[in-house]
Amino acid sequence: MSVAIKAENLVKSYKTYKRGSGFKETVKSFFKREAVTVSAVDDISFEIERGTVCGILGPNGAGKSTTIKMLCGALFPTSGSIDVMGFSPARDRKKYVRKIGAVFGQKSQLIWDIPPVDSFAMNKAIYGIADEDYKKRLGEMTELFDVGEIIYKPTRVLSLGERMKCEFIMAMLHSPEIVFLDEPTIGLDVIAKNKIRDVVSEMNRKGTTFILTTHDLEDVEQLADNVIIINHGKKVFDDTLSSLKNTLGSKKIISLTLSKPYEGSSIGGAEIISRNSEVDISLEVDTSRQEITDFLKSLTSHVDFRDISVKELPMDMIITRIYTENQ
Amino acid sequence: MKYIKIYFSCLHTAFSRAATYRANFILGNFITLLSNIIFPLVTVLIYANGAKFPDWNMWEVLLIQSVFSMSTGAASMFCGSILWVTMDHIREGSFETVLLKPIPTLFYIVAANFDPESIGLFLGGLVMTVISALKTGVSGAENILSFLLLFLSGLAVISGMYLIMAAISFKWVGNSRIPEIFDSIKSFGKYPLGIFPRSIQVLSSLIVPVAVIGFFPASALLGRPHRTAFISVIPCFLFFAMGIWIYDRMIKMYEGVGG
Repeated sequence: MSVAIKAENLVKSYKTYKRGSGFKETVKSFFKREAVTVSAVDDISFEIERGTVCGILGPNGAGKSTTIKMLCGALFPTSGSIDVMGFSPARDRKKYVRKIGAVFGQKSQLIWDIPPVDSFAMNKAIYGIADEDYKKRLGEMTELFDVGEIIYKPTRVLSLGERMKCEFIMAMLHSPEIVFLDEPTIGLDVIAKNKIRDVVSEMNRKGTTFILTTHDLEDVEQLADNVIIINHGKKVFDDTLSSLKNTLGSKKIISLTLSKPYEGSSIGGAEIISRNSEVDISLEVDTSRQEITDFLKSLTSHVDFRDISVKELPMDMIITRIYTENQ
Repeated sequence: MKYIKIYFSCLHTAFSRAATYRANFILGNFITLLSNIIFPLVTVLIYANGAKFPDWNMWEVLLIQSVFSMSTGAASMFCGSILWVTMDHIREGSFETVLLKPIPTLFYIVAANFDPESIGLFLGGLVMTVISALKTGVSGAENILSFLLLFLSGLAVISGMYLIMAAISFKWVGNSRIPEIFDSIKSFGKYPLGIFPRSIQVLSSLIVPVAVIGFFPASALLGRPHRTAFISVIPCFLFFAMGIWIYDRMIKMYEGVGG
């Protein structure tokens, strides 16, 4: 597979002003402000292959949106280089943006007062889409999202889910090869989320590359082939989704309901990671060091329990560990 | 050709937006027109009470003020919204959505934000200009051509000013009072230049050539062009060019080069 996006030693730093709180500081800041340089993105390199879905994860303020903005060509990197399909996004912006699409979950590209279909028509003129292509594409997209009637209603009366579907259509009418999604499912209900995920998978199957930032780990679990994790402007993880799941070793979570309270901090070599009540506890077992059957044997010899369940380490726990390990 | 197509498509969205709130559109047009018509009424009152501007009769002064309304109307129709739109984008951090369009950014903002609410002012000004021109007996192709040149220069200076103010809002987000300063300076263009002290005459014809908005084109139409009228065309287009240049610089700075 060929590389669609290649970023090398990407840095973006901002100059902001330090401002204290309180009346005295406010008055002082009126006359003199202290400039501080902040690195939002600090020396990140990665490659994204054509035809894949890449999830970019990270806590709030980690530098995800800044990275996406640089990849879209809206921001120049302070240093480092980006190559997307042979373009340098910010430098070749006008030619480049024709090839990409972008959906920002928090910033609407539709015109608020008029029906989405009128906004689509404006994009048709701006991108110079031929009549036939436009009709065909709009027909396909409205069918995929099931929004045949909705696109004729004014945007302001649409529900958030309906509007997001229309935002997707707006971003994909010109058949972009790469689509950037910045928190596309934020605030949506389960049904709308699933619909959007289905369409993304469908479009990806037809060859569109997606770059996705999100806080919703289900988005990543269902869509992403690869995952990049950014924290404090640095890349802390970059590999496939399956290796992300194994990154903390092959661990399992065992939940127990005990017959009587247990005081210790570990049982049979496994650490207690949470206590919901005196008798409801969860253990974490590293199955690479101890076979699960051996562990269960030693467990039954140590404590009596009424109920047990064995689960995979949940994604949010993996992510939380990665975030906090790199504080 | 492609850009004309895009412009008309954007114009279409501007009108469908206006059509969504019909009452607001009609009322908006009416109020803008009314507030600008009251001004010529003052002129009528002055003349009705026996006072006058030296060397200018009532219809001639009304012509100046009608041309002024027409010019202001046309300029704000085409690029009057740019200041507010830019300010909103910067404040809400949504300027990226504009940068994602594969056409020149300034062109897109101007095209997408045509202001139909100023049509009333433009048409009102046009009607009054025609009436005043008929009453004063305007004639001669040469006069009309000079009028058109100066009228265009007037549009250039207002648009240039809008662009400069919009560009300032990239750096200085809360500058909503700046337009008021320009509005006050602009009103010098509503009167015969001769009534002002020398310094204001120089200011409004050569430095911030607001005389080109109303007085210069109207006096050219009357066949009595002011001696500095045609020189002031230069600073008008300089303002326009400067507006485009500064706005462009600010976009570059927003993207993070040279800022």
